[in-house]
Amino acid sequence: MTITTEVRHAVVAKGLAKIYGQGDAAVHALRGVDVSFATGAFTAIMGPSGSGKSTLMHCLAGLDTVTEGSVAIGDVEITRLSDKQLTLLRRERVGFVFQAFNLLPTLTAEQNIRLPLEIAGRQADQVLFDRVIDTVGLRDRLSHRPSELSGGQQQRVAVARALISKPNVIFADEPIGNLDSRSGAEVLAFLRHSVRELGQTIVMVTHDPGAASYADRVVFLRDGLLVSELTDPTPQTVLDMLLKLEA
Amino acid sequence: MLRTTLAGLRAHKLRLLLTSLAITLGVGFIAGTFVLTDTIEVGFRQKFTADAAKISVAVFPKAEQNAQELPFIPAETLTKIRAVPGVTDAQGLVSGPTPLLGKDGKAAGNFPTTGLSVPSGPLNRVVLTSGVAPAKPTDAIMDDNTAQTRQFAIGATITVLDAKGAKNDFTLVGLFDTGVDQQLGYTGAIGYTTDTAQRMIDAKGFREVDVAGADGADPAQLRDAVAAAIGAGYEVKTGSEYADELALQSNVDTGYLTLMLLLFGVIAMFVAALVIYNTFNILVAQRTREMALLRCIGATRAQIFGSILLESVVVAVLSSGLGLLLGLGLGAGAMAALGVLDAPVPVGAAIALTPRTIILAVVIGLVVTVGAALLPARAATRVAPIAALRSQVEEQTFKAGLVRTVFATLFLLAGTGLTVAGVTTGGSQESLIIIMAGGGVFFLGVLVISPVLMRPLASFVGWLPRRLFGVPGKLSVDNARRNPKRAATTTVALTIGVTLMTLISVITATTRATVKAQLDAQFPVDYMISDQRGGDSLVPRALADQLRQRPEVGSVIEMRRADARLAGPDAALDTSRYQVGNFPIAPDFRPQATTGSFGDLVAGTAALNDDVSRDLGRKVGDTLQLTTKEAGPVTLKIVATFDRESTDQAPITLPDADFERYFGRLDNAGVYVNAKDGVASDVARRAVEAVAQPYPTALVVSATELRGEFDDALDMMLMIFGGLLGLAILISILGIANTLSLSVHERTHESALLRALGLTRPQLRHMLSLEALLLGLIGALIGITLGTVFGWAAMQTFPFEVLFRAPVDQILVFLVLSGLAGVLAALLPARRASRASIVDALAST
Repeated sequence: MTITTEVRHAVVAKGLAKIYGQGDAAVHALRGVDVSFATGAFTAIMGPSGSGKSTLMHCLAGLDTVTEGSVAIGDVEITRLSDKQLTLLRRERVGFVFQAFNLLPTLTAEQNIRLPLEIAGRQADQVLFDRVIDTVGLRDRLSHRPSELSGGQQQRVAVARALISKPNVIFADEPIGNLDSRSGAEVLAFLRHSVRELGQTIVMVTHDPGAASYADRVVFLRDGLLVSELTDPTPQTVLDMLLKLEA
Repeated sequence: MLRTTLAGLRAHKLRLLLTSLAITLGVGFIAGTFVLTDTIEVGFRQKFTADAAKISVAVFPKAEQNAQELPFIPAETLTKIRAVPGVTDAQGLVSGPTPLLGKDGKAAGNFPTTGLSVPSGPLNRVVLTSGVAPAKPTDAIMDDNTAQTRQFAIGATITVLDAKGAKNDFTLVGLFDTGVDQQLGYTGAIGYTTDTAQRMIDAKGFREVDVAGADGADPAQLRDAVAAAIGAGYEVKTGSEYADELALQSNVDTGYLTLMLLLFGVIAMFVAALVIYNTFNILVAQRTREMALLRCIGATRAQIFGSILLESVVVAVLSSGLGLLLGLGLGAGAMAALGVLDAPVPVGAAIALTPRTIILAVVIGLVVTVGAALLPARAATRVAPIAALRSQVEEQTFKAGLVRTVFATLFLLAGTGLTVAGVTTGGSQESLIIIMAGGGVFFLGVLVISPVLMRPLASFVGWLPRRLFGVPGKLSVDNARRNPKRAATTTVALTIGVTLMTLISVITATTRATVKAQLDAQFPVDYMISDQRGGDSLVPRALADQLRQRPEVGSVIEMRRADARLAGPDAALDTSRYQVGNFPIAPDFRPQATTGSFGDLVAGTAALNDDVSRDLGRKVGDTLQLTTKEAGPVTLKIVATFDRESTDQAPITLPDADFERYFGRLDNAGVYVNAKDGVASDVARRAVEAVAQPYPTALVVSATELRGEFDDALDMMLMIFGGLLGLAILISILGIANTLSLSVHERTHESALLRALGLTRPQLRHMLSLEALLLGLIGALIGITLGTVFGWAAMQTFPFEVLFRAPVDQILVFLVLSGLAGVLAALLPARRASRASIVDALAST
């Protein structure tokens, strides 16, 4: 374990369990996961299909309720919060990038980027906005609607949207799942860039070892349990670990 | 393929039910109309046949040429009929006004009670509900309703005026039911023995003679025998011929009812068709991938087309069946309501469900549903197999195509042209029909062009929500603008109802204002006194003189009338009778002349109304010759003309003294009374009533009452039309709910995304409610505009000046209600959307 007590954590989960259904039909998606995500780090969650990586992310982000255990985002324990409080928490402290359907088709790229701030009734920090736009390289696309953007551009808009509200953490769920390799690489590079340059905390769920190698740290899930992790991964070390876990 | 379709339908029972509901309501209304009117018709026929069974032959007087009234059948004829071999009984019937005096000593009601003869023996058709038939000259029977409202019971003494106005006392021996006779139901009725009835009415014979023949005798032979015995001048019918005639007459009446109700049924079905069209369109759009997958695995275009049509057939059959049941319920309910309200329709007949009703209900349901699904089904065939592989449904982009623009322009221009033509030709029945056609064509234009209007209108209506409601407000406006075609069809359905409601409220408001102004001009007085019996019955001068004595009364205006023909060379020109009247002497009787002046109305002059002046070609300064009763032919100099609508004067008005000299000292056709300034209206009213008390038939009506009655009639009309249009509006609300719930389904991902980004549940619900509110308001705005414009146009066809009124308060209510309707429609879809779990919504594709 490389985590030391000096490191501040954006998200901390303890004894996280999630059971779907009841009795015989009960599915144990998570069976007691302890995991922490350091502030300003890019962490990837990996695991085979059905390992519970998406469930973990949903629980960490307050999108889904947990059966047991606790999750803290910053200094807020979220498992006891009401739906309304969770919603407000997501507004202020959490950013999302999904695999697809990330943008509202009726809004332009710029409106989509500003949407979380508008929902929260906050003003965008213009300096940050300019910096984000320039980093994402979308300045000439701001007035376009999603249907006029390529898949890669759409995902970059989604990342920009997640960044603009300066959340404690950004959860990215298979952010390049629908992209060709070049666009995917662009988005991943950009995610890593925003961690390095803007100090953003990012937690990414992926099944692609290449994508995971962009992260500072990779945690591995199997059958609802945290089974292993890697720091400073490369595609090869991730792949090896996966093969080891599959075996 | 069939199995796939049916499996799909079974999987979406709720959607199927919602879609069916629109058609069910429309079909139910139409079927209900038929059930109701058929039942009424059957009831009438049963009643008439039962009556006719008592009569073998009926004899009526034949109208002489140019005669105003039918002659009486003299008593000798009755004697002759009785002598015809085979006749076992013959009874003469009469009826006429015999005003019943209420307990206050005044003639009861606004119209004289109808007196009728009650024959004795098997030919009696009066149905007693209690007591016995009149046997003695002092016996009388009364209809239940009058007995109840005037509080008379069997054994009571009632006072009735005869034709000469004298009081006659009778003992009430029985009560009867007026049945389906609307006239009797309205005026109330009193039955006497035949002789008494003749005396009371002052009848010189009978209006009808009913004949009974021996059992088993052929009515037709008896008819011919009777006809031969009494000679020409009579109409002789068999009982069943008479029943057929009555039934035919009542069927014509029920026919109007059917037609009017069906009109609303057709409107409702049209709205339902729009709803179905929209629903299928959205379903096809949502199932693009399903359709593409079917194409991928080998389904042909025809099979896809067939599967959508099959779905619509299933919906149609289901909803027509339900509609038929609903119609039966509606028909039975309406009959029960009519029975409770004691309407003059035969109750008790079994609810009639004819094969025609069943066939029509199913055919209409089928044609409308399948017809509305045709275009969406065709759109489904255009789905490319490759669409199965696309992950995100493409956003609809809408551009006003050339075809749409051309068609819309054509319709709008043609509609405008027709309407303008109708308005400018004005003043006739045809121009109203032209304007109605123009309205219909224009509406089609609006229907075609409405997708183009949606975006600007949504921006316009959404201006305030966008600023007031933050992100949900903005997003709702965007969503309303998002799919203009869908929004247009949804809102146009509501527009139809709102247009017609606005149209009717504009027409009633305009009529109200116009008639009020006319009444004010014609009766610029507080009270009117006329004789309850109407016609030639007059109000005595003594009453007017007594009124002048009262301190509460300001002025008394006496209106007298007589008929006269033109005289001298003018008589050859025009042989018809003209109504001549006096120009009352009263300080506040100051009508306006169109040309000339009433100030010049001195001895030997006359004033004509504009119509007579035009018909006779006489202007101010010309002369007119008139044959008068007392003074023979006189020559009158015309000094003024006036508008018929602006004052209640006779077409030919003479100075008061001249009128008396020419026609004698006549009593008043009407007396108008103004209260003295400063006298409270109830005090003045009591004073006028007190003076009128000794004159039983002198009917005092206050101007406010008259306006009140008129207002009530208009309000009633507005309510009935509103209620009938309510169905179309209800269906359009279902349409909004359907569209919205399908849109919500379509936007599951979006909603989940918004929730993930921090939109609270209430905010998401508000967003959808606002979108529905916008749709409702847009539909209402178009409807209000169309309704107001075409209401104005329709009023231009009236043959007189109208005071156009758009009832702003009512129209605002329509606007608010439409908005609320939208919000109401959004209730369930919004709830469902906001309750959905974010994780599930994100996972579904």
